[in-house]
Amino acid sequence: MMLLTMSMQADQISEGYVILLTGLLIVFSALLILSLFFQFGLPVMLYLYRIITKGRDKKIKDIPITADENFTGEVAAAISTAIHLYLNEQHDDENAVLTIKQARKLYSPWSSKIYGTHQKLK
Amino acid sequence: MKKILLIFGVLSLLIFIRPVLGFSGDADPKDEITTVDQLPTVEQGEGVFENAMHGMQQFYNYTGFANATWGHILMILIGIVFIYLGIKFDYEPLLLIPIGIGVIIGNIPFVAGNQTGIYETGSVLNYLYFGVVKGIYPPLIFLGIGAMTDFSSLIANPKLMLLGAAAQIGVFGTFLGALYLGFALPEAGAIGIIGGADGPTAIFLSSKLANGVNILPDGTTVKNLIGPIAIAAYSYMALVPVIQPPIMRLLVNKEDRKIRMKPPRAVTQKEKMIFPVVALLLTTFISPSALPLLGMLFFGNLLKESGRTERLADTARTKLIDIVTILLGVTVGASTQADIFITKDSMLIFTLGAVSFVIATMGGLLFAKFMNLFLKGDNKINPLIGASGVSAVPDSARVVHAEALKSDPHNYLLMHAMAPNVSGVIGSAIAAGILLSFLA
Repeated sequence: MMLLTMSMQADQISEGYVILLTGLLIVFSALLILSLFFQFGLPVMLYLYRIITKGRDKKIKDIPITADENFTGEVAAAISTAIHLYLNEQHDDENAVLTIKQARKLYSPWSSKIYGTHQKLK
Repeated sequence: MKKILLIFGVLSLLIFIRPVLGFSGDADPKDEITTVDQLPTVEQGEGVFENAMHGMQQFYNYTGFANATWGHILMILIGIVFIYLGIKFDYEPLLLIPIGIGVIIGNIPFVAGNQTGIYETGSVLNYLYFGVVKGIYPPLIFLGIGAMTDFSSLIANPKLMLLGAAAQIGVFGTFLGALYLGFALPEAGAIGIIGGADGPTAIFLSSKLANGVNILPDGTTVKNLIGPIAIAAYSYMALVPVIQPPIMRLLVNKEDRKIRMKPPRAVTQKEKMIFPVVALLLTTFISPSALPLLGMLFFGNLLKESGRTERLADTARTKLIDIVTILLGVTVGASTQADIFITKDSMLIFTLGAVSFVIATMGGLLFAKFMNLFLKGDNKINPLIGASGVSAVPDSARVVHAEALKSDPHNYLLMHAMAPNVSGVIGSAIAAGILLSFLA
């Protein structure tokens, strides 16, 4: 029995070494492939993509600006000022400290029994 | 003050009532039966008193005071230490505080059989724990991580991906160590993944391999090691700022620590969008068992980078991951019920876990030095970033950054260290998939 368990454990450990080596190898190769792809494969793909779509891309200076004739720098400045004012100056800064000053009065008719509207009948 | 006195008074009454009334600590069914037998013979006036006493005794037997063992007390103290570490030292408070309170919840002593405990079928905690046992929570966490992670530093410098692979030697080294200590193959695989330094992956793999349900080839059932493995993984992840710096100082000399790396190039949006799709295809074709983890990780990343699904990405990286983290933390904490958790195996797992973090860090550092042998000029990498190949995101990258600043106050490594860090996440998920396909 002892021998059996020992041999089983030896089996386990040899299997463990197999898993150790293959596992490490697979992890390395997976990440190596991934890094090789992003090092070399992707730039080529992006380059091909650029060649395929060539001609359809327009440079900024080629885009006609006739549609935007009325949109002058002054309009832009006015809009951006408005946005700026809207975002930043909605509230003027107020002093957020509130103080309550206690007013000491010797007499107040508030809730006075003498001037009450509901005089109790005696 | 009055309230404290009142509570203290009630507590001390509950404790001291025990010897005064001569109650025995354990709820022995024999005692109860004899008491019931005696009841009809006593007189009416005394019978009421006796009944009341009996009720009190019943109540007392159901309280935690009667059922507490030293194991419960010890685990509650550990829970309090977790909460203290999280609050005081800011070691991953988002994990340690839910786990700490979970440990306390799981170790309140109770009478078994009333659907209270986390291991009793039908209890509420058991239903919440279902997500851990069946491996549902980890992929959801990975979705959130994917939606948070910026892979651009990795795309800019793909060779750093190998550092993430090198750190996985911690996984396989620990796996071998666990085999030598006499754990069965699936158990050893689940313990090994602690070296991946990735909480969700560790829970996922242990819920598949060491779940207390699977049958081993020799006919015995596998042990349930989810609790100890998860606690070990998360507590060592929280302790990364303590574990890693001494190893870095030991293995990397002062000159190498000062190496400055050239800033990573700008990465286009197109590349960022292509990355999750290509990486998903490549990695899951190689290791299909890691599909739940890697699939969700790259899905989350595509949500983030596509630019069209900002709403979904936003939910995944904030609300969703928060909800799952809360449930995961508290149930993993509660699964440490003393009678199941405090065993020799747990102690071994904790030792192996510490060793695995050390091996993983050393693996990353040494491989970075090895890579430097082949790199020239300003392509050289700072070997310190090898340490962030263990995937505790973003803690180990931050540790590397802080350690580099100590030797050169103007050497900012954070961006560079994030690359091996996120590739460590991918690497440990692949490693988990490999172990799963070999051992399940």
